[in-house]
Amino acid sequence: MKKQFYRRMAAILLLLGLGLSACAPQEQKNRYSAYSMDYFDTVITVVGYEETKEDFDAVADEILAQFAEYHRLYSIYHRFEGLENLCTVNELVDGAHRTVTVDQRIIDLLLYAKEMYTLTDGVVNVAMGSVLSLWHNYRTLGKDDPANAALPPPERLRAAAEHTDIDNMIIDEEQRTVTLTDPLMLLDVGAVAKGYAVERVARDLEARGVTGYVLNVGGNVRAIGGKPDGQQWTVGIEDPEREDYFAYLQLSREAVVTSGSYQRYYYVDGKAYHHIIHPDTQMPAEGFLSVSVICADSGMGDALSTALFCLPLEDGLALIESMPEVEAMWITEDRVKTVSSGWNSYVKP
Amino acid sequence: MKERNGISKVHLRNDVVMIILLLVLAGAGALYLFAFRGSGDTVNVTVDGELYGVYALSEPRVEEIRTGEDGSRLNRLVIRDGKAYVESASCPDGICAAHRPVFRRGESIVCLPHRVVITVVTEQRADSPDIVA
Repeated sequence: MKKQFYRRMAAILLLLGLGLSACAPQEQKNRYSAYSMDYFDTVITVVGYEETKEDFDAVADEILAQFAEYHRLYSIYHRFEGLENLCTVNELVDGAHRTVTVDQRIIDLLLYAKEMYTLTDGVVNVAMGSVLSLWHNYRTLGKDDPANAALPPPERLRAAAEHTDIDNMIIDEEQRTVTLTDPLMLLDVGAVAKGYAVERVARDLEARGVTGYVLNVGGNVRAIGGKPDGQQWTVGIEDPEREDYFAYLQLSREAVVTSGSYQRYYYVDGKAYHHIIHPDTQMPAEGFLSVSVICADSGMGDALSTALFCLPLEDGLALIESMPEVEAMWITEDRVKTVSSGWNSYVKP
Repeated sequence: MKERNGISKVHLRNDVVMIILLLVLAGAGALYLFAFRGSGDTVNVTVDGELYGVYALSEPRVEEIRTGEDGSRLNRLVIRDGKAYVESASCPDGICAAHRPVFRRGESIVCLPHRVVITVVTEQRADSPDIVA
């Protein structure tokens, strides 16, 4: 009788054990992450699944090496020995800009920037450098010396705005040259370069069959295939004022880009002035706390999120609804949320 | 004892009791694990990519993260109620000090000027994002 009891108990335990072990994963890929603070004046995060740390490091190192290249090419603030980049395109020699022969990746970026200018009806304008550099300089000075922080004088902003015609950026695709024909104009690719670089890197990885990775370059998120277990990536959209997220999204190959007033700013007389400058007023765009865009292309997402931050809600909504497979979420300064018609299909249930 | 198909009613009842008992035990075990799962949760602090310190989220503390050659760069990390935040910082940005408390896996606070990254390291939970935009 006792023997029989033990046998039965063993059988039950065995069955329960088998049931549990069936739930265990078969293939073991681990999650790893890496980051860098060296490029694009922001944090680059790489998250990926590989069997070993060495496998992940090899991919992550290559990803960061590619971002390093794009950073050098697209930098408007730094010169690098022996390299013609956007900083040298912006330089004045004897009171004029030179015709500069550049890397094909610079030509491609500037051509894309022209497309984004057309798409956003001129709201995203890489030829606005004269205005944006004033803000950049005053912001830098104001952060270093908060007691004497000041706004750029309106007359200087208005004068700078006279030199923002994108048609004065001449691109010769055959000769691979760029010329700025207005000596007082400057390029600033801040609204497109990060997203564009993320998309180039992501497509390069996809072309080589890499999957199970997600990149984040200062709010430009791009998924490269889902996770090894078939699950999608969960992306939290930051609420800078609360501990909960504005949304949890599920993505497997899309990009999501957020532009927010909390991402970069400085204080003047106790008031925060953020970095997204409206082309018409030359002042920080008002109305939104953040705008997020989901689309297939991170470069387009970057440009659109900046544009939507500057456009009235109705105009932005009309623009997004006119584009297939592009969705957006607007959070106003008083925390009212509006989403485009297909946004909720990406929201985690 | 009446036997049917080789299994007596008493045996059948004992088996049911046994299964229930095992399930209750398993449930208690799971509850125990769930209740104490948080104790391994930490925030990892890196400076310039190098690990600076690992602090348990369960232990309230104030940590002065001093960086720079003369240690003059300061980010005051506070851990309280299982959450981490930067109370004050000597950086020009102030973005780290304005950041809300972090506590879910993968959430981080970054001080670019001081090259400080504070990242939550925990088990994945239902509300843990993979990445934050």
